[in-house]
Amino acid sequence: MAEISFPLPDLGEGLIEATVLEWLVSPGDQVERNQPLVEVETTKSAVELPSPQAGKVVRIHGGPGDKINVGEPLIVFEVPDNTAGIVGTVPKEEAPKRRVRLSAVLDED
Amino acid sequence: MSNAILESGAAMADRAPRHGVEELSMQQALNLALDEVLAENPKTLVFGEDCGRLGGVFRITDGLQAKYGTGRVFDTPLAESGILGMSAGLAMAGFHPIPEVQFDGFAYPAINQIVCQIARMNYRSRGTMPMPVTLRVPSFGGIRAPEHHGESLEALFAHVPGLKVVSPSNPHEAYHLLKYAATRPDPVIFMEPKSRYWQKGEVTFDSADPAGSAAGGPPTGAKVMREGRHVTLIAWGAMVARCLQVAGLAAEDGIDVEVLDLRWLKPIDAAALAASVRKTRRAVVVHEAPLTSGLGAEVAQLITQSCFDTLKAPVERITGFDVPYPSGDLEDEYIPNIDRILFGIQRVLEYRRG
Amino acid sequence: MSGRHTGEQHHHTVEGTDPQLYVEVHEPETDAGLRPVLLLHGFSSSTKLNWQDTGWLAALLEAGRRVITVDLPGHGRSGAPEDMDSYSPSRIRADLLQVAFDAGVRPLRDGDPASGLDVIGYSLGSRLAWEFGATQPELVHRLVLGGPNIADPLAAFDLVAAQRYLADGTPIADESTSGLLKMALGLPSNNVFALLSLVEAIKGEPFDPAEAVPHMPMLLVAGEKDDRAATMPELAEMGAKTGALVEQLLIPGRNHSNVITSRAFKQAATEFLGV
Repeated sequence: MAEISFPLPDLGEGLIEATVLEWLVSPGDQVERNQPLVEVETTKSAVELPSPQAGKVVRIHGGPGDKINVGEPLIVFEVPDNTAGIVGTVPKEEAPKRRVRLSAVLDED
Repeated sequence: MSNAILESGAAMADRAPRHGVEELSMQQALNLALDEVLAENPKTLVFGEDCGRLGGVFRITDGLQAKYGTGRVFDTPLAESGILGMSAGLAMAGFHPIPEVQFDGFAYPAINQIVCQIARMNYRSRGTMPMPVTLRVPSFGGIRAPEHHGESLEALFAHVPGLKVVSPSNPHEAYHLLKYAATRPDPVIFMEPKSRYWQKGEVTFDSADPAGSAAGGPPTGAKVMREGRHVTLIAWGAMVARCLQVAGLAAEDGIDVEVLDLRWLKPIDAAALAASVRKTRRAVVVHEAPLTSGLGAEVAQLITQSCFDTLKAPVERITGFDVPYPSGDLEDEYIPNIDRILFGIQRVLEYRRG
Repeated sequence: MSGRHTGEQHHHTVEGTDPQLYVEVHEPETDAGLRPVLLLHGFSSSTKLNWQDTGWLAALLEAGRRVITVDLPGHGRSGAPEDMDSYSPSRIRADLLQVAFDAGVRPLRDGDPASGLDVIGYSLGSRLAWEFGATQPELVHRLVLGGPNIADPLAAFDLVAAQRYLADGTPIADESTSGLLKMALGLPSNNVFALLSLVEAIKGEPFDPAEAVPHMPMLLVAGEKDDRAATMPELAEMGAKTGALVEQLLIPGRNHSNVITSRAFKQAATEFLGV
């Protein structure tokens, strides 16, 4: 198993921090990609952050009312080693399938 | 015993040369090779997009920043020209940069820095400014990724004087070739077959190549991965595993296929090609890159040069198509599959002169 | 018109002009077979800020609802027309009616759960929803009003002070005006002059909830610490007098700007409209 930590993402508009309103997941939860993780509030607006990753939640940082700076750890996931890539999918190892048969007269000249 | 001593003891043990055999994925083997290179040579630096804190999108640099600090393992801005431009400058200043471009298709913005600076600085400076840059490029297709994430740039790089190009086909090769590449005084383009990152295999630490070949020596040149008498399949990167599958299937039909992992794509091991094809007298070269001006043509010519008199058939090329690399859904149609390779073998088997 | 505030979509002209409203219809993966939901955002906000980034759109789609979103004039990706009339609440209501019909909304029919329209509004959007519901009883099935207020705080906005501040930086004495303008200036996607046109138009047609009261079931929701929605019970009473079903929900610990992401709010709204 591998751990992947995600920091508070850049929320745009030059914002450098956000306040946690409410966590929607807890350590131990299995979450899907894009599942809402947490509500946070900035000086401009309140937003719900979707999960960038499927996996099991290992740790969450900050409780309601706590400020987190952009780039500081927000959540840590545990993922199987072979899904630890972020782009694309892991190819399946399958038994080779064939339709073509070889035929040859092998003269050993 | 104080904690400090415990820690330094642990670090020492970690850095001791490994022995024996371990089952690792290619990702783990590359990670270990980088770890050892960083420990052995204080002038080495590892950097690229997401290489630091995240540990790379494929986790190849996982844990290295925590171990070696942000001064030696770090994130760069999303600017490949900057990553490679900085590499050139660092190499001039005596470092050994090991940069990563996150995906093959992202190397294009850095072509100027790679071709016009890194590849020829040593030549330009009459040998006073070598460029020990080991550029890691997650390469080739097979993981259903979007555009720019499945390209095969080996012919492009191999064409540039001053660059060496290498691609490992399994965890053992990955470990040894990366350790070797990262100690070269010249720029090496290290093409990692990203579709093989997760497959495990035995890594024999003590020697790169099995006893009997160029035993115990550095991993230079090509390597016979399976011996055979009737036809030689030549491949590199992810296509080696596929060719080994094909060889297994061909054996069911009584055809004995030799599989040659080219490993080094620049310079190409012409002697190994000659030795294999002199024996089998038939050759099929397999690559994911498009056909036209692909490295298959270079391989075919080298074989023709050395084996023209004894070849039983023209060298076959089984390759991708002359189209932009397709989206994930069409990948299986593009990358040479088992049946296309078997057809290629059948064609060289049934070829008759006249 | 040019740049960001050129409208990106054109459907029908209304009363002879193109409202330049940016409308999107979002289809759920699995349709629950219920009527569409129209979302109306607040002052100085947008579909993206009020409904998308807050998780509302995803939650409604997840519940199988077809969702119609519209950016108000001068907001988000809608155009910023030059004429004052485009910003008047009555004109916006007419535009919303056209938007609804263009999106395929049909009048309510007994026994047809796909007929009619549900509306969720927030803040200024709640005012528009109240009026829209009151004036379109054949169309609107249920209302959810977030952060509602019996009077529109924009009506008390000190327009002259705001314009002076924008011209030469003269400080604004009125706290509410200063706060609203700060909010409007904080988002680069806002066209501040269009927003001031909206304020001016609202001053011309201030909110009078008693003038027309919706008769359909309503859910009123506000944060417990939302001063702007302190008058919510009065609105509820007004609605209840018509005999309509009116429910109220106070979300603990939340204020006018952060109640919007609340899961409890979303769940209550989805359940209230899921009939």
